[in-house]
Amino acid sequence: MLAQGIRSHRRWIVLALIALVALALAPVFLAPFHIRVAQLFLFSAALAVAWTILGGFAGYWSFGHTAFIGLGAFVAALVETSFQIKPAGLNFVVGMLAGTGACAVLAALLAYPILRLRGIYFAIAMLGVSQVLGELNNNVDAFKGSLGIVLPQIAPAHVEPQAFYYYLFLIAGVLTLGAAFAVKVTRLGHGLLAIREDEDTARMLGVPTERYKTAAFVLSAVLTGMLGIIYAHALGYITSGSVYRTDFSLNVMVYALLGGIGTLAGPILGAGIMVVLTQMVLGRLLDTHMFVTGALLVAIVMLAPRGILGYVAPLLRWRKDGASP
Amino acid sequence: MQLVLQTLVDGLVLGGLYSLAAIGFSLIFGVMNVVNLSHGVIVLIGAYLSYFFWQTLGVDPLLSIPPVMAVLFCLGYVYQRGLIQLAVDRSSLVASMLVTFGVALMLRNLLVLIFSPDFKSITPSWAFTFFVIGPVTVDLVRISALCASLVLLSLLALALHRTGIGRVIRATAQQDLAARLCGVDVRHVYGLTFGMSAAFAGASGAILGIVMPFSPPDEVHWTINAFVVVTLGGVGSPSGALLGGLLLGVISTATSQAIGPAFPNVMMFLILVVMLLVRPAGLLGNAFSGSR
Amino acid sequence: MSEPILAVAGLTKRFRGVVAVNDVSIAVPEGSICSLIGPNGAGKSSFFNLVTGYLPPSAGEIRFQGRRIDGLDTHRIAQLGIARCFQIAKPFPELSVLDNVRMGALFGRAGARDVETETAAALALAGLSDLADRPAISLTVGYLRRLELARAIAQRPLLLLADEPCAGLNPTETEEVVDILRQVRQRGVTVLLVEHDMRAVMRVSDHIFVLDAGSKIAEGEPDRIARDPRVIAAYLGTPEPAGPA
Repeated sequence: MLAQGIRSHRRWIVLALIALVALALAPVFLAPFHIRVAQLFLFSAALAVAWTILGGFAGYWSFGHTAFIGLGAFVAALVETSFQIKPAGLNFVVGMLAGTGACAVLAALLAYPILRLRGIYFAIAMLGVSQVLGELNNNVDAFKGSLGIVLPQIAPAHVEPQAFYYYLFLIAGVLTLGAAFAVKVTRLGHGLLAIREDEDTARMLGVPTERYKTAAFVLSAVLTGMLGIIYAHALGYITSGSVYRTDFSLNVMVYALLGGIGTLAGPILGAGIMVVLTQMVLGRLLDTHMFVTGALLVAIVMLAPRGILGYVAPLLRWRKDGASP
Repeated sequence: MQLVLQTLVDGLVLGGLYSLAAIGFSLIFGVMNVVNLSHGVIVLIGAYLSYFFWQTLGVDPLLSIPPVMAVLFCLGYVYQRGLIQLAVDRSSLVASMLVTFGVALMLRNLLVLIFSPDFKSITPSWAFTFFVIGPVTVDLVRISALCASLVLLSLLALALHRTGIGRVIRATAQQDLAARLCGVDVRHVYGLTFGMSAAFAGASGAILGIVMPFSPPDEVHWTINAFVVVTLGGVGSPSGALLGGLLLGVISTATSQAIGPAFPNVMMFLILVVMLLVRPAGLLGNAFSGSR
Repeated sequence: MSEPILAVAGLTKRFRGVVAVNDVSIAVPEGSICSLIGPNGAGKSSFFNLVTGYLPPSAGEIRFQGRRIDGLDTHRIAQLGIARCFQIAKPFPELSVLDNVRMGALFGRAGARDVETETAAALALAGLSDLADRPAISLTVGYLRRLELARAIAQRPLLLLADEPCAGLNPTETEEVVDILRQVRQRGVTVLLVEHDMRAVMRVSDHIFVLDAGSKIAEGEPDRIARDPRVIAAYLGTPEPAGPA
């Protein structure tokens, strides 16, 4: 099914490859500030794509995905600073494995009870989970959440750190998008779509709903954790407040909604628009930043509930070959 | 023993406030299935309105409750008819929840712009009077807060059960289609319900202002508090909100006393998650039947 | 007749003291079309819910191809080869007719298959090929019922449970549904039908089971059932005419 999915989405894949080449060359031409903006775009877009695997495909809207950013970041940071394996690259890999592993375990443990809740109950339960983790992390001294952790520098000495993390985010973004695409075009993705449309009917058709939801949840958590770990290294120093951030959880939904919920191109498009808007245009309007975000959220839901792609994609008439963005 | 009693009394006072702050959220949730994530910011608007009356006109915070409720009733009605209803009609309930989240962000930002992000508190002349009853110390502020909360909750219960509009609201909550067939203007009822919800949120804001300092970012806590209260006590009824609020008040006071002042929030969210998992059907009614 | 594909023994379901299904035993022969009839509230839908694993039985056992299936999860039962279509059609509303049916072909009975071929065949059988690209929500009740059937057929079931596929349809549409069911049977699928339209039931069924108040009160060939005094008594007093009886 993967091969067939690649065939039917070949135009989107070509578009993605062109974008990838452009993004890979971009740091050569961009000023440092713009590299930072582009880095934030990659991080945001990848987060939104990872969220989409559960929220967009299966319709389980997590309001607390920052739980996995924070958990991944802190587990990796604690492991890397405690063991300090040489060389630095290996240390980072061990931290990455530990952090994403922790996210996988947490998601798998939560899956059974929490994925039985539907709609707003799931959303709120995830919000609760992220808040509990954030507060525990902040208040239990062993986790160093309030004191903060300085992460080991992993950029090689002769490489500009800004560019180094840019490429790290780019690789992580490609991985995330690839994984999400593989989910989308295979049985798992179709099963998740059936679950989103009508879970009881999906089960009646033979979709192993519990297993599929758990798989989507764990994959989404692991990818989110991976991104959180890279983000933590890019920051260099983290506290609970800098990685357990409710606005991360909210923003991924805004990106997905703005671009087009349930698609893969949508969250990327949404992230691009929002990051450019908030960093380049509204960067000077710190006072009203939250107001504008809120107003945009309201405007999207009221005016374009299907997102930008919901309007643009039919115009492109790419759907003739059966592929959706 | 004295510590236990004192903790219990403090918890009950706090719980009365939680109950009042949550009842509006509970009503909207029960009557129209909308999760109003801007509920907390409405509570704070009540607090800031009361603060404004006290600062500029010298109105006693308890006396400012009726005007605060009147203003917020109107705002609530307009908010529901002008935005929430449109969002519900246009897209899903989850999307309507996002709309309320967006509004919460906007209002919170406005509060920061108007009143600054600093903590404010309302201290009327009688703020420092206190009584010693046996082993327990209670100040006048807390007693009046608890009394005001209980009085308002009782009034609401009476209104819901003894007045015509109360009956219509309860009927609409149970079967909106049937209510519509009986000639009820359901949208008007939703508007009135939202108005009442906002009015009671505002009243709780006025009361919270004399009990504790407040600042705009607190709105998140008041929204989540409301959700926990509803999850604990049951949806849509003043008695449920009272039960849930008092439980939450006692639990968080006891947690901060027994484990540490940083932990009431952790405990609250733990209870929220556990209650969602263990008793969603019993207390919330339809957690498993889906709401999409 | 060979060994029954579906054998139910002593099946009982109680809801807080109310007995919805009471000690029902039936055997559905492979390759047949059987019907389950009875007045409203006789327990027919509960029976389907038990067989598909949607509800756990209070007592009794359900065997499919000789294998116990009671207690299995709904999706496992579907993977073994039991498909169900509902009286009130439950399409995936935002998907096209084609995608709805494809969903049945992608999942359904476990085993290798050619999804596109199965999908096209099921669409053709249900007469939906021309409407393949329409969104499911745009269909009329009659076509929704066909979509429900097409999706179930695409699951490649061994046993199809059809819950009132003719309810609310006009005589022409009923005729078409009956025709589809016959073709399904010709493809080797056993059909168990719950239906109120007695004319359709009498014409299409090989064997009929009659439930009343949760218990089986009669079974046999159509013309015997039509004359059975207990069956007539069960239907008396209900607004539903007892067909040609």
